[in-house]
Amino acid sequence: MGSGLAAFAFFFLPLIELRPNRLASGIGFSLLELQGDYSYLVLFFLSLIPFAIAYRTDVGGRGWQLAILGNLMLVFSFILPERAGQLILTDAVTYLSDDVIINNPRILPSGGMFFGIFGGYMVLFGGLQDLRRADVARWGRLAIGWIGVLFIVFTFATGGLENYSFMVELRNNGERLQEVTIQHITFVSVSLLIGFFVGIGLGLWAARSERVAPLILYSVGIIQTVPSLALFGLLLAPLAVFGARLFSDIALQFIVFLVITIAYGALFSSIQNRVPSMARTPLVIIGALIAAIPLTLFVAVVVAFLYQIVLLRFTSDRFFDGNTLALLIFFAAFLVTLVRRFLPDEPVRTRILFRLNSGLIVFGVLFVVFLLFESARVYLGGNVNLDTLSLSDLGISGIGVAPALIALTLYSLLPLVRNTYAGLNNVDPAIIDSGRGMGMTPRQIFLKIELPLAFPIVMAGVRNAGVALVGIGTIAQIIGGGGLGVFILRGINDTSIDLILLGLIPAVFLALALDASLRFIEGVLVSPGIRQAEDA
Amino acid sequence: MIEFVNVVKEYPNGFRAVDNLSLQLPTGEITVLIGPSGCGKTTSMRMINRLIDTTRGEILIDGRSNYDMSVVELRRKIGYAIQQIGLFPHMTIFENVAIVPRLLKWQDSRIRKRVDELLELVGLNPDTYRDSYPRQLSGGQQQRVGVARALGADPPIMLMDEPFGAIDPITREILQDEFLQIQERVGKTIVFVTHDIDEAIKMGDRIAILRDGRLVQFDTPDTILSNPINRFVRDFVGTDRALKRLGLYRVSELMNTNPPRVFMSDNINKALEQIEKQGVLSAFVVDEETGVLKGWVDRENARKNTSLLDAMSESGHGDIAVRENATARDVLSAMVNRGFRVTPVVDSKGRLKGSITLAALQELNDMDNDYAPTLPPALDTEE
Repeated sequence: MGSGLAAFAFFFLPLIELRPNRLASGIGFSLLELQGDYSYLVLFFLSLIPFAIAYRTDVGGRGWQLAILGNLMLVFSFILPERAGQLILTDAVTYLSDDVIINNPRILPSGGMFFGIFGGYMVLFGGLQDLRRADVARWGRLAIGWIGVLFIVFTFATGGLENYSFMVELRNNGERLQEVTIQHITFVSVSLLIGFFVGIGLGLWAARSERVAPLILYSVGIIQTVPSLALFGLLLAPLAVFGARLFSDIALQFIVFLVITIAYGALFSSIQNRVPSMARTPLVIIGALIAAIPLTLFVAVVVAFLYQIVLLRFTSDRFFDGNTLALLIFFAAFLVTLVRRFLPDEPVRTRILFRLNSGLIVFGVLFVVFLLFESARVYLGGNVNLDTLSLSDLGISGIGVAPALIALTLYSLLPLVRNTYAGLNNVDPAIIDSGRGMGMTPRQIFLKIELPLAFPIVMAGVRNAGVALVGIGTIAQIIGGGGLGVFILRGINDTSIDLILLGLIPAVFLALALDASLRFIEGVLVSPGIRQAEDA
Repeated sequence: MIEFVNVVKEYPNGFRAVDNLSLQLPTGEITVLIGPSGCGKTTSMRMINRLIDTTRGEILIDGRSNYDMSVVELRRKIGYAIQQIGLFPHMTIFENVAIVPRLLKWQDSRIRKRVDELLELVGLNPDTYRDSYPRQLSGGQQQRVGVARALGADPPIMLMDEPFGAIDPITREILQDEFLQIQERVGKTIVFVTHDIDEAIKMGDRIAILRDGRLVQFDTPDTILSNPINRFVRDFVGTDRALKRLGLYRVSELMNTNPPRVFMSDNINKALEQIEKQGVLSAFVVDEETGVLKGWVDRENARKNTSLLDAMSESGHGDIAVRENATARDVLSAMVNRGFRVTPVVDSKGRLKGSITLAALQELNDMDNDYAPTLPPALDTEE
């Protein structure tokens, strides 16, 4: 079906569009119109071959052929139109009418090309599925699945596709793109980090107490249903007011509410057996509402401030001393892990490597904390006088990145809380019972049994949240939060697909990279004893 | 010794799971707790290592209340194996078995030695299985690991809650036999919970039958089968308890160790003489050199024929004999099957060790039993 779609598209739809500049509409060229160079008919015939292959019955051979064809379709759909476009560009003047201003003429990928890519992917996936059924080794499938994409990326990186419109935009907006990408990475990672701790905390609480579980799960579920735009709007006013307040006031309020929460919790747990069961749920809700105030204060301040200092750290002029060192430390820890994986198991060496590894990781974390402190000091400058330090000095204001960050953090909660809760509840009670029966303390049961067993599910939640945040994060620019949404919004305003693509493509790669790196972490940390079970 | 002294477990809703239970579980023996579901057998067991708190009464372990030490310390001294096995799927077999020794902060080298020793004890090759994960093992192998783990720090007491319950019947038999052999070597004080009366009879040195949280009868399997204290116990052990009881006796305990025997080279008169002298129906023919059972000759045939070899009904020992380690129940089954009243007993090499008669089995059941059901009528084919 994919090939049919592609063949149809190659035949009828314009393959590329020539545009004189960013705004004016252009002229479409379809495959047959690209005269003078019949090599592009290759595309058309290429897309017909899968029809013939599909009738083969040996799954393995069919899989390989389809996968290779899919890759070829992908690569050619990307590269050939660009080469054709290059020819057109050189005599752009002859194609365009006289009254348009020719400024940065560009080739815009058009319907035919998109369908070509789509069709190529369908053929490739069909092939991969066959290979999977034929029990081809995982690495083989990975290689054949990615080789086309890698080739395209490589062509991009070496400037081979520079006539495409978004590459033209990239040339013009390169520096700004770097900036907003860093911004995007920063606010996604900061909100994910905070969301991680808060979400896991709430999930743990829900798993431990049957009574608060529905309350917590419903609340995070409700947050998820609030449209992101509305959430920004809701946060606007309170944060503006909030930002104007003094840090010392807020700190005082935080402490007061924290004390009230703890006192309420203590009171409730001491009398809960005497409270009629009907009154318990409302009491718990009241308690959760009280607890929500310090929690919100805490999250708001930490998120906004952490974002500012992390961004400062990223964009620091001295990027290469501290940051590189931190990266090197983690890289070393990673190497040690690899070595430990591949060396034969031998007690003394394993133990030494294990200690080395944990040592490196602890040191790396401490070093990052130190770097953040350093950035915090720089960010605050001389203004560390608590009497005058206002929250806007810490990065909190009605518009800008603060509401975006808080909204993103809130959005990350649902998958994190739900998966932590599900992960912990999924642990077989018999396993916990035998742990208890052997004399493990509750702490040991949590750390050595429940946590490792729930970890894959928790990590799946982290991945979900992370990928979703990269996407939602593009809306942040609406309230001045920056990030890749800068280009997308501008593209929408200018009705310029080029600019939208310029924001979109890095976002997609960011999401993929985040997913892949989290998967990698999962692969290293999840015990082989339960990894296979997760796959199945 | 574990001693229950008037132990009561009462839940907040007033339900009494265990009601005034007093019981003494002797050191080094397997005590089986059994009863219908809801009888409090698992609750009683779990109160020993305080997975469930007692409401009233005391459980003494070697004279000390189990509330005298910290709960964690107590549990680390008591092995624990359950039906669902509860191996930690994210840990290797080594790590699973090493859990309690590690909790007790043993030296690494000592733990490694101990784990290897235990894996060998339960019949798993340490080099093959040490670094496997539970999911790579079959159910039976996992349960072996479960037993090894319960034995981890060499606890004097073990609690086992239907440890072989989730395993297919054939593997279960094998594991039960192996476990009895292990117990012969380690001699732990074992509390064994099951709902399967056959398992209880097989495994238990003593059986405590519980009902509605109360102790109904506490005796050896033999006594429980021969003298059930009331109708409940009688129904619980089942109408085939005579047969079950036969399962408790080995052939070697009941057989006639000097059956009439003749060699292949003897003449027919010797066989007749043997038969007359012992007043039995037939004599067994064995090979002179190896002592292997070759066949039998009965009175009728011995009178009719002049040569021993003509008179002899030839048969491999596998067809007519039972092994000396078979239970009396197996013998009965073999006799009913083949229609014999007397069956030769051989050892693992097929050498004649003795013979056992239907009458001997019947006698066993009549000894001290008022309700003895009559055995299946003997089948007369040898007359």
